[in-house]
Amino acid sequence: MPSKPLLKNLLSRQDTWRGRNRSLRKHVITTGNNSLDRLLLGGWPVSALSELVSQQDGIGELSLLMPTLKRYANEDKLCVWLDPPYQPYAPALVSAGIPLDKLLIVRSKNSREWLWAAEQAIRGNALLFAWSNQTQPRYTDLRKLQLAASDSRSPVFLFSSTAALKASSPALLRIELDALKANVLLITLLKLRGKAPGAKIQVSLGDESTERTELDKLPVNIHYPRLKKADYLLPLKPEVLRLNT
Amino acid sequence: MKKHRINNIDQKKDIWLYIDFPLLALDAVLTDTDNTQVESAIAIASLQKNVQRIVCCNNHAQKWGVEPALSLSTALTICPDLLVLSRNHEQEKRLLHSLALIAYQFSPEVIISDRGLWLELSGCDQLFHSYSKLLQRLHRQILSLSATATTGIAMSPLSAQLLCGQKFQYYLPDENEIHRSLMATELFKLPGNQKQKNNFKQLGLESIGDLQALPRSALSQRFSPELIETLVLLNGEKPCTLNRFTPPVEFSDQIQIPQGLYSKDSLLFFMKTLLQRFCLYLSARQCHCRNIVWCFEPLLGKRQSMAITLSGSNNNWPSLLTLSRLRLERLELPQSIDQISLFCDQFIDKPELSFDLFDDQITLDNQSSELIDNLYARLGVEALSQPSMSEEHLPENAGSIGPPNRSAKTNYSTSKAPQPLWLLTEPTRIQQRNKQLYWRQPLTIISGPERLCGNWWQSEQQRDYYLACDSKGARYWVFRESMSKQWFVHGLFA
Repeated sequence: MPSKPLLKNLLSRQDTWRGRNRSLRKHVITTGNNSLDRLLLGGWPVSALSELVSQQDGIGELSLLMPTLKRYANEDKLCVWLDPPYQPYAPALVSAGIPLDKLLIVRSKNSREWLWAAEQAIRGNALLFAWSNQTQPRYTDLRKLQLAASDSRSPVFLFSSTAALKASSPALLRIELDALKANVLLITLLKLRGKAPGAKIQVSLGDESTERTELDKLPVNIHYPRLKKADYLLPLKPEVLRLNT
Repeated sequence: MKKHRINNIDQKKDIWLYIDFPLLALDAVLTDTDNTQVESAIAIASLQKNVQRIVCCNNHAQKWGVEPALSLSTALTICPDLLVLSRNHEQEKRLLHSLALIAYQFSPEVIISDRGLWLELSGCDQLFHSYSKLLQRLHRQILSLSATATTGIAMSPLSAQLLCGQKFQYYLPDENEIHRSLMATELFKLPGNQKQKNNFKQLGLESIGDLQALPRSALSQRFSPELIETLVLLNGEKPCTLNRFTPPVEFSDQIQIPQGLYSKDSLLFFMKTLLQRFCLYLSARQCHCRNIVWCFEPLLGKRQSMAITLSGSNNNWPSLLTLSRLRLERLELPQSIDQISLFCDQFIDKPELSFDLFDDQITLDNQSSELIDNLYARLGVEALSQPSMSEEHLPENAGSIGPPNRSAKTNYSTSKAPQPLWLLTEPTRIQQRNKQLYWRQPLTIISGPERLCGNWWQSEQQRDYYLACDSKGARYWVFRESMSKQWFVHGLFA
């Protein structure tokens, strides 16, 4: 008969599989979206690597993590963005309620530096968003990150391109993101410990109107004061915008 | 009860510890070289009155009969294998200062003499629980600098120096014992000229006790006023007026490696030693450092230096060493390194931390500054940045990327209009094909416009920003410039 502390230690480990018992992963944080929380059995896994495979940039892949980012940044934790594909736009982050001084952008020169910086950030208990732009990290590299994450107290997010889907991943969670239409994200569960893959949900990212406007029917901006002498300062008129003239 | 205690403090006498370093000249030259030479007979010589004389020598040389003040030629005759090194006053001074820094951990009053240190120890036992524990720890730390030390303890600095024995003693003698041994001390040890010593002999005075027994008035008639002054200092009747040691405002230390170092790994050992000394200095000054500068000097050629910036929390030598090692990886070093020096002149006061029993907030904050320092050291300053915001109208000016500044202002008025999370570094021109905007894919306008003007003092910029999306649902921030009527894409709604 095993001694009690030994058993307790074993059961408290993140990677002990306990059949269909869903209390297996207790360390989760809410995503800020109820349907997504249900899909992920409670929220983003803490102390684990989560991989987000995005079909393309600009579909709202980062907005999905804004509540998590806001929460960690306001808890005075450092948030490291490793190799983001574009420049983060500060006014948008400020209006989302994220203190800029908690954000740190790190640029790596090669895959070795990328892996080192990611591991350091995880071991330093920072919230890590990593983008694998330069080269797709190898399985062993990701395994290293997953191991480091299991010792940390923060979730780790890895943004990959669809090319990553060809290979298997040691990440605890892997989801695919696609846009159904503007503002609506289709999330497919590819891998989650304790749940069968394949589940899909739709997540709406905002309530902006999605009505499409033809270029020659753009509205006239009436808020700008009408200036008489300078032609170039005149507000837009529909005929100015007619392109085929 | 209270009154009794106050009386006790009033009666408390000074306890002076004198630490003598008889082999200081030898230790200063030998500390930085390798230990293989310890097995041979070594002596330090210097020029005194046109004759090279031995200053001090090690035990091996003493066995051959070499002793201080012996002329060099005599010493070489009795011990032909004697290794003679020249005296280095600069290094002696540096070693003595390092030793003073160590002593400063144990007592707030440290005085540096020519070849030793005085420490005032009264009351210092409280922190270390007892004087013997204090002395043991002190000796251990002195030995870590491989310095040979002997001690004397008395109630005044001068008497402590006179009572200095042959070894480092770990117990505090009581007052009577000190008095007895002081009285028995021979008079020739007392500072003074030869004439005075002869006078003592003629008068039949042998020990300090004999001298003290005579009335002061009689002594002042027979001897110079300096002797009376010495006796006053010896009895501790006047407080010691020698300058107290304070840590210097800048830290600068170096290690010379005559045999040269050829690999980065072998550098680390010496860097560790320097960092340990540096941390002693930091704890003596009770401050944190902002940056440290390493200098690696080859025998021939240009020296290399590297600076390490710190966010202020790392002040223990292991983390400083880790940072130095990470930074060292990126440095191109000369082939062989002859001298390593460490320099620091930027300090901040140690923040007064109050530790909470349950909250681990402090460790969190420490962790993030440690992380930033590590990333800085390995990846370089240019690899780290932070988004920053300024009150400008044009997006590329309003949101920019700058060096990390942890105290950045964050309360700005923000626009209600939707703003993208990604900004392209430069607006990219997009094509129009038959009433259709086209960037990678056909784009459709969803909402807008929001007019942004700026730069009116240079070249007027007037832009109407729209939200556009492509057929797959990705959303873009596009604008039309009023002047040129061109369309550009400027951001992505990630």
